[in-house]
Amino acid sequence: MSDQQQQAASPGGAFREGFVEVDGFRIRYCEAGQGPPLVHLHGAGGLRLNAAHDLLATRFGVIAVEMPGFGQSEENTRTRTIAELAMTIVKAADALGLDRFDLMGTSFGGKAALWLAVTHPERVRALVLEAPAAIRPQNAARVSGTPEQMAARLYAHPERMPPLPATAPKVQAKQQRLVARLRGPDRDAELETAMRQLDTPTLVLFGTLDRVIPSGMGRHYKELLPNGHLVLVYDSGHAIGAERPEAFAEIVTDFLERHEAFLISRAETVIHP
Amino acid sequence: MKVSFFETGRYAVPPDLPREWPVPPAAYDPVLGAQAFQGMVERARFVEKLGFDWISLSEHHYSPRILTPSPPLSAAFLASQVDTIKIALLGPIVPVSNPIRVAEELAMLDTMRPGRFVFGLLRGTTNEYLSYDLNPKEARERTDEGMELILKAWSEPQPFGWQGRYFKFRTVSIWPRPQAQPYPTTYALGVSAEAADFAARHRIGLGVSYGTVALMAQSTGHYRRRCAEYGWGPGPDDIIWRANMILAETDEAADAALARRSANSQAPFPISQGLRNALIEQDKRNVGGQQRPANVGGVLPISFCGGPDRIIEQIRRAREEIGVGVLDLSLADPGTGGTDAMMESLDLFGREVLPRIREI
Repeated sequence: MSDQQQQAASPGGAFREGFVEVDGFRIRYCEAGQGPPLVHLHGAGGLRLNAAHDLLATRFGVIAVEMPGFGQSEENTRTRTIAELAMTIVKAADALGLDRFDLMGTSFGGKAALWLAVTHPERVRALVLEAPAAIRPQNAARVSGTPEQMAARLYAHPERMPPLPATAPKVQAKQQRLVARLRGPDRDAELETAMRQLDTPTLVLFGTLDRVIPSGMGRHYKELLPNGHLVLVYDSGHAIGAERPEAFAEIVTDFLERHEAFLISRAETVIHP
Repeated sequence: MKVSFFETGRYAVPPDLPREWPVPPAAYDPVLGAQAFQGMVERARFVEKLGFDWISLSEHHYSPRILTPSPPLSAAFLASQVDTIKIALLGPIVPVSNPIRVAEELAMLDTMRPGRFVFGLLRGTTNEYLSYDLNPKEARERTDEGMELILKAWSEPQPFGWQGRYFKFRTVSIWPRPQAQPYPTTYALGVSAEAADFAARHRIGLGVSYGTVALMAQSTGHYRRRCAEYGWGPGPDDIIWRANMILAETDEAADAALARRSANSQAPFPISQGLRNALIEQDKRNVGGQQRPANVGGVLPISFCGGPDRIIEQIRRAREEIGVGVLDLSLADPGTGGTDAMMESLDLFGREVLPRIREI
């Protein structure tokens, strides 16, 4: 296998990098696949492509956006709220020529995605929230430390996962400062009021072994979102797409393609026709 | 110490009945079948009167030797016929079941007679995987996932979907819910490390069965260590031991009965050698994490044998070494024909043993 082939075979290897300039930020994104556009907003640890991104890229044009202040981008000291961050993402979508798109947010990015959806519902066809951090238990400990310590929090079975790449201490500190400033209260009354009015079809996913935000938080989304669906992903931790990519991509794809009709089984059980 | 009577639906097996599992339905006698179910009621009332705490039921298929393929049906039947005794379903075989159906049926029972049922969730005897076409290699993981889903279906207040490895449901939202929240009294059944781990993580009980005190202690020791890691300690009521007992008026009489049993011992579900070997090869088992071959088609051991005094000492040892607080007892092998001797043993147990083990 050539180096190029090996790179394409690793998670996210087929994604191409690009940049857009909005709100004075130079925003990196990774893109792959053909089909309806699917914008992904990452979690507090930054943009890490995984096998689920590759699977989703077989059906969608996946655009994984690195939010300003994460990764190698300059420290973001200007964005004051997560709603403002969501506004910047809308402008990034404008710059990418995206009118309506599917939107997926992971953990911290789930809260940003929710803000985007409630403030610009006309832009979002359907919303997927992977272990969202918009509603948190009191005093939930943040994910930090060595890659091994972080893996123990993010995954149900860290021993089955490839090691997390080490993040440079400066980058980690910069990201943590940004997240601490933007994450907002554990229960955000303004956001929750807006969620009650959100008609956008929304899929909320939690791993049954989530050690960052307990899966029991999922029921609040089900209570608040009029068109929300809660799905528990068995034997997964917080990083569902990384830990159970096939299960994650299957249900996300089904939901984004059929919205509420995804509740209707299409499984064929005939054995010998 | 609490005591449970293991009720197997005593079909009076004629001597010429084919032994090998599965037993041909052509050999079934509907009169004996009806008598077996009526006998269940009589025994339930009998042990209730003797002061037994529970009567337990199991799930087995394709054989007259344990005539209870549907524990929820057996339990509903018995529940309408008794007054105080608890009914323990030990238990539905989870990997061959629809977990949502199990959750619904058990919640129905808990609603019909609140607080009167105890539930055990079980991986199942190896031969039962043939009953409903289950790949033995998937049994362990299907059990773990199914148990998790049952607990979630009982306790989750909002409709949810389940994206599992072996089960997929887009909508789960059961009615009625169990009376007790988050769960009714529930046990994970089995001697394996996986059963103990599951029970410890969910703060539920563990039910072990059939083996020496040392083996059972190995399993419950693992359970207790795992519970400690999860920050809690199980009490005596959290550990059930299902075991066979031979009780007689004297030690000598019991030993003689054991010797007769050893000479004529019959497995409840004997199967052909080739099939047995193939199943053992595929169905990997362990006791508290230590690999052990599955008991496929084998004879079940006698764990207690003696007159009342010796039996009480054996029970005391079980309490100390295994930590068991609920003994689930058989006083005669299933499928051994008449029940007169068993009823005499039960009566003796009620008179001479039960009052003296309450404080153990």
